[in-house]
Amino acid sequence: MPQGESTPKQEVQQGTLAPMMLKTLEGLGPLHGYGVARRIEETSKHRLSLNYDTLYPALLRLEKEGFIKSSCGQSDNNRRAKFYALTAAGRQRLPRETSEWLATADLIAAFLAPRREVP
Amino acid sequence: MSPFAFLRMALARLGALLARNRAASDDELHEEFESHLEMEAAEFVRRGMSLEEARRRARIAAGGLAQAAEAVRDQRGIPLIEGLLADLRYAFRTLRQSPAFSVVVILTLALGIGANTAIFTVVRGVLLKPLPHRDGERLVYLRHSIDGPGGGSISFSVPEVRDLRDGVRAFAGIAEFSSWTLRLELPDATERVKAGLVTGNYFDVMGLSTILGRATGLEDDGAGAPPVAVLTYEGWRNRFASDSTVVGRSIRVDGKPATVIGVLQPAPFYPEPVEMLLNMSVSEHHVSSRMIEGRTHRMTEVVARLRPEVSMEQARSEVEGVVARMQERYREAYDLGAHHRVSVVSFRDVMGERAQLTLWVLMAAAAFVLLISAANVANLTLMRVVRREHELVVRAALGAGVARLRRLILVENLLLTVAGAALGSMVAFSGVHLLAAFAARYSSRSGEIAVDLAVLVFALALAVALAIALSMAPFLPREGTLAAVISAGLRRIGGVRRQRAHRVLVVAQVAVSVVLLAGAGLLTRTVLQLSQVETGLRSEEVLTMSVSLLTPAQLLSGPAADAGAKQRYAEMLEALRALPGVTAAAIGAPGPLRSSEVGFEVKGDGRALATGEAMPRADLRLADPHYFDAAGIPLIAGRPFAATDERGAARVVILNRTLAERLFPGANPLGRRVAWTGDVLRFTPFSDEWRTVIGVAADTRDGGLDARPRGAMYMPFAQEVAIAGGLVIRTERNVAKLVPAATRIVRRLAPGVPIENVRTIAQIRDESVSPRRLNAALLSSFSLLAVLIAAVGISGVLAFSVGARRTEIGIRMSLGASAGDVEWMVMAEGGVLLASGLVIGLALSAGVTRFIQGMLFGVAPRDPATLAVVSMLIAAIGLVACWIPAHRASLISPAITLRA
Repeated sequence: MPQGESTPKQEVQQGTLAPMMLKTLEGLGPLHGYGVARRIEETSKHRLSLNYDTLYPALLRLEKEGFIKSSCGQSDNNRRAKFYALTAAGRQRLPRETSEWLATADLIAAFLAPRREVP
Repeated sequence: MSPFAFLRMALARLGALLARNRAASDDELHEEFESHLEMEAAEFVRRGMSLEEARRRARIAAGGLAQAAEAVRDQRGIPLIEGLLADLRYAFRTLRQSPAFSVVVILTLALGIGANTAIFTVVRGVLLKPLPHRDGERLVYLRHSIDGPGGGSISFSVPEVRDLRDGVRAFAGIAEFSSWTLRLELPDATERVKAGLVTGNYFDVMGLSTILGRATGLEDDGAGAPPVAVLTYEGWRNRFASDSTVVGRSIRVDGKPATVIGVLQPAPFYPEPVEMLLNMSVSEHHVSSRMIEGRTHRMTEVVARLRPEVSMEQARSEVEGVVARMQERYREAYDLGAHHRVSVVSFRDVMGERAQLTLWVLMAAAAFVLLISAANVANLTLMRVVRREHELVVRAALGAGVARLRRLILVENLLLTVAGAALGSMVAFSGVHLLAAFAARYSSRSGEIAVDLAVLVFALALAVALAIALSMAPFLPREGTLAAVISAGLRRIGGVRRQRAHRVLVVAQVAVSVVLLAGAGLLTRTVLQLSQVETGLRSEEVLTMSVSLLTPAQLLSGPAADAGAKQRYAEMLEALRALPGVTAAAIGAPGPLRSSEVGFEVKGDGRALATGEAMPRADLRLADPHYFDAAGIPLIAGRPFAATDERGAARVVILNRTLAERLFPGANPLGRRVAWTGDVLRFTPFSDEWRTVIGVAADTRDGGLDARPRGAMYMPFAQEVAIAGGLVIRTERNVAKLVPAATRIVRRLAPGVPIENVRTIAQIRDESVSPRRLNAALLSSFSLLAVLIAAVGISGVLAFSVGARRTEIGIRMSLGASAGDVEWMVMAEGGVLLASGLVIGLALSAGVTRFIQGMLFGVAPRDPATLAVVSMLIAAIGLVACWIPAHRASLISPAITLRA
């Protein structure tokens, strides 16, 4: 749900946005920028919010790197909109990205978990 | 429109184009934002908000639009081309801010690049361009030579060609070519045409095709084949006005009908340009058994085509084997003392043979000039970068990486070198026809000299290479050390290290100038030496011209034509003597100071050859009773020919001094007997009878002033066949004014016969000197250019050094140093550079000048006098160049300098 204004919002961590976007596009197929943002917000249970200046530069970067491509299309309400879709390179990239992030998350969790043994 | 304005406009247009591009993608971005907003607003509306409220909320949720657009733009980055354009615009602006620097650099580079482009255009046209012949790199020329003067290329006989054809497997084909002058009878006149008689396979071997009609083939060989002619491109243009209906036309050559069957593609010929090529049957002589069976009857040039997989070496060794077997088998035809040998030379090299030394020397000289100019520009750039250090450091501090600064400098240098190349090439290209005229003296390929893509690429490549080299020169702080540089204080960067680079460049410039100047000096001395050579003639008020009434075919046809020709020569002489101012007129063959094309082995009565000594050879020359007097050739002993030395009278000869000393060393030759000898005489109109020596004439420089005189035997014009007609006309003064009247007489009495080599003795002399004078002039101008550029360089570097030391000099002066002391200090600094350059340059010259030995005459490559003059010249110019900044330094006012 957009903007439960009282819910505490979190800034997107550096480097985490790309895998989220790739995963989103993989799951839902071609999507416009708004759709990507909404999906990510929903998946994060509204702990994340994406502004223009986070969303669009990130999409552009992925496009420049060749993981996604854009094309013009019609949105649900019949507006002209730019649709983003995963490229073959992006599809290949995703599993690697995923396993890397899982490993990182694991690592961080291990480090930051409360210690049982007292030295 | 000025080039600057044009460039600026072009840049503006390109910039606008890119801006439009950028605006378009901005629009797209805003549209995307807009649709995002709408979607969000729609969502709010669905959840019950008013449209207006929904839009407001959506906008808040989205965050700052401008900020977002900026972030996207950042991500998009500056495209390469746009960045380059910005650099270009910036470079353009900075260069315009220092116009003096830009102009000096562009002019210096224009000189260097222009000189190189010009010479390269010639080198490419004459030496490097592939031959127009099909697979021209497999085309070879065979050269038969023997020891002794005139033995450099003696051609082949038909039996010799046959042996080569049978014995050498490396050749896919061997073709014969025989130079032949013939009479071409046109409806309104009879003209002389230089032609070649060739075997049917000639065009196939040469790889030449026709643009009209067909070439000759094997069916055109043999005595029975009807005479046919293939016009060369030049012949078609000159004699038939490029008439496209010429094929099939019947023409008359040497009184016989022949059919034009084709026109050749443009191509150079060797050994001389020809206008048509005919099959052998047009000349009875060429299909006679005398020619075909006569082993010593050598009048055939040979070209061959290597088989595809065969190397030149293989062909050479096979040819060597054949020549050895020939000499073994036909001992009577080969004088072993003369060392018969046959060399296999690539046809392209043969075409460029006479040109290559001169052209490569000029190319090297041009390259040296470019080196010197580049060094100068490097120094200027270095100094400028030092002055701009502040700016560069500030730019670095504002975030430009070192790579970006380098790119900026590279773009600036590119702008300069490309402008220099464009200017230099424009000057060079406008002089292409002059260069072609110069090259025509050395090569028949001069017609191929043209500005083509290769030449343009060459000029551009020079510009780019120079720009890259120049951009390497300035020392930029390494990435990450900028802070250190800034904190160390900007002044310190232009320190010792930088100045060492300047000095090395200046020393190199001086050294290279010395080498160039030494070369120029040697060539200049050669010209001086050459113009002091005596021709052997007493007077220069002599006019000569060649009028050959008889063609080769007529010479061989018998005495009737000869008698008629002699009668006409006599009429000419009579008419010439009647001209006002003429004191003598005579005829010989060939004329004085022309080398004879005919020569044989000669023997002296009672003179036995030492074992292994080659048979003496001598040029055959004819002279009438007035010849020696008219030409001013002194008789050292005996008498000239007399009117009584006519056909049927006792056979008499006059030897030149060289031959007299060769045949009768230390003895009086008068009254002794000499005779031509050798098997080859059978094929000529000359007999091997004994002849009595009645006189000895002085040597004359018939082969050019730089060629040693060759043995010559004069025979009475009246007693022999008139193989050529060399008219000699002498006046008291102003002989050149006689030319129109004299040629009018000849043209009236011999219509249609070309009058060749109309020259006064002074002109013949000059022809021998002028090619070298031109070389000397070219090299001298190159080297003076180099010296001047180097002088500017040394002066500039000293001035810069003085500028950097202003404070120091001010302190010295305030501590009591006089103006003289300061001047001396700077002079000493320059003097060290000058002296080092001079010493290195002299050492280099000693090693390099031997390469131009072949262009020298009467002076050794390490001529001490030349080197001394060169050193003094460089020292003098260099000292003046040093004095200017030194004097300026002495004018420094300590009060002003120290307060600044």
